[in-house]
Amino acid sequence: MSDWKRHDPLNRNPATARSSALYRAIGLGSAKSGAHHWWVQRVTAVALVPLLVWLVASLLAHARGDHQVLALWLGQPAVAVTMAVLLMALFWHMKLGLRVIVEDYVHADRVKFAALIAVDLVCLALLAIGVFASLYLAFR
Amino acid sequence: MLIKSSKQVSRWRTPKRFPVSRNSGASPASRIEPGVSWPEPEGATRVQRFKVYRHDPESGKNPRIDTYAIDRDKCGPMLLDALIKIKNEIDPTLTFRRSCREGVCGSCAMNIDGTNWLACIRSLDEISEPSTVYPLNNMDVIKDLVGDQTHVLAQYQSITPWLRSKTPAPAGHERLQSPEERKRLDGDYECILCFCCTAGCPSHWWNGDRFLGPAILLQAHRWLVDSRDEATGERLDELEDPFKLYRCHTILNCTRTCPKGLNPGKKIAEIKLMIQQRRS
Repeated sequence: MSDWKRHDPLNRNPATARSSALYRAIGLGSAKSGAHHWWVQRVTAVALVPLLVWLVASLLAHARGDHQVLALWLGQPAVAVTMAVLLMALFWHMKLGLRVIVEDYVHADRVKFAALIAVDLVCLALLAIGVFASLYLAFR
Repeated sequence: MLIKSSKQVSRWRTPKRFPVSRNSGASPASRIEPGVSWPEPEGATRVQRFKVYRHDPESGKNPRIDTYAIDRDKCGPMLLDALIKIKNEIDPTLTFRRSCREGVCGSCAMNIDGTNWLACIRSLDEISEPSTVYPLNNMDVIKDLVGDQTHVLAQYQSITPWLRSKTPAPAGHERLQSPEERKRLDGDYECILCFCCTAGCPSHWWNGDRFLGPAILLQAHRWLVDSRDEATGERLDELEDPFKLYRCHTILNCTRTCPKGLNPGKKIAEIKLMIQQRRS
């Protein structure tokens, strides 16, 4: 295998290594996880289909209203709860998807771990801001 | 359009190669340089030209594209016939693997007109003029069209592709299967390990050191559904990994390129479903 392709976190395969091809193919073995990630990504995707249809349809219905009308609509209890659920599904899904992208394309371990932490924290922060805004409109 | 088989003809005309310049992103040693144009056959009415990737890493020179031309009237019907004719009559240094010449050994897998296929079952009627012939995308070149399969074969070994059973073999006869149990191996056992699919898989390009790739996952599925194998749980344990299995993002290049018309993408999805079935 080409050297540039050999992402070697523990430096198990330096250029002078005499290890077997099987040793390199096995790597660090199976993480015995990944199914949860796969399942939740599908659950949130299924949830987002009706939620996003509802959001776009509702926004179009309020397209002619001003800021006050939209804020009043968002403040209704049912709308605020649905909005919070939508934001949770959206940012959870986004976190899972961005994680896959980082794992796909970032191979230097330090950069990868930093990027994965950043993805999680940014998604959590965006979720917190969104849910806070929903509750704020409902309880002000 | 969901790709179910390489026999499907796409409704759209897709670009043969991703539209970037040929040397984009290539390391200096891999940059392709202009090659030799070999003399054309005299008095031929049906000339077919081939732009063939030539590279000998031991020479220290960069890869080049040589252009060969053959007379279709004096050549067999398949691309492999043309390559053998070139090697016999024009340039004996051209190097490629071939064995069975009928699509059952998987030796002559190469990138033909931008699609991974077996040279022995790619008709000269189906290729462009001039046609490009490159080695498989994802393997270090040993010479010309011969790729290094060491890593993918080691990945194959890593999934223990043999029967693992605690029940002793019955005396006097084989381990029996019902016709229905045997039928579950259809779509798996036909795989000839030519690695057209693995070489065409972007996930295997970026993460081939850890992702097993469609050919090996298809083989893993073959042992998961075998009614005689008793290591299904251990096999699923070994496969459940963000990289080994879940790097498959259902791109379906594997199914699009399989020269045997198999559907590795579907088999990988079935492995994911099996893992989900035992979790819930």
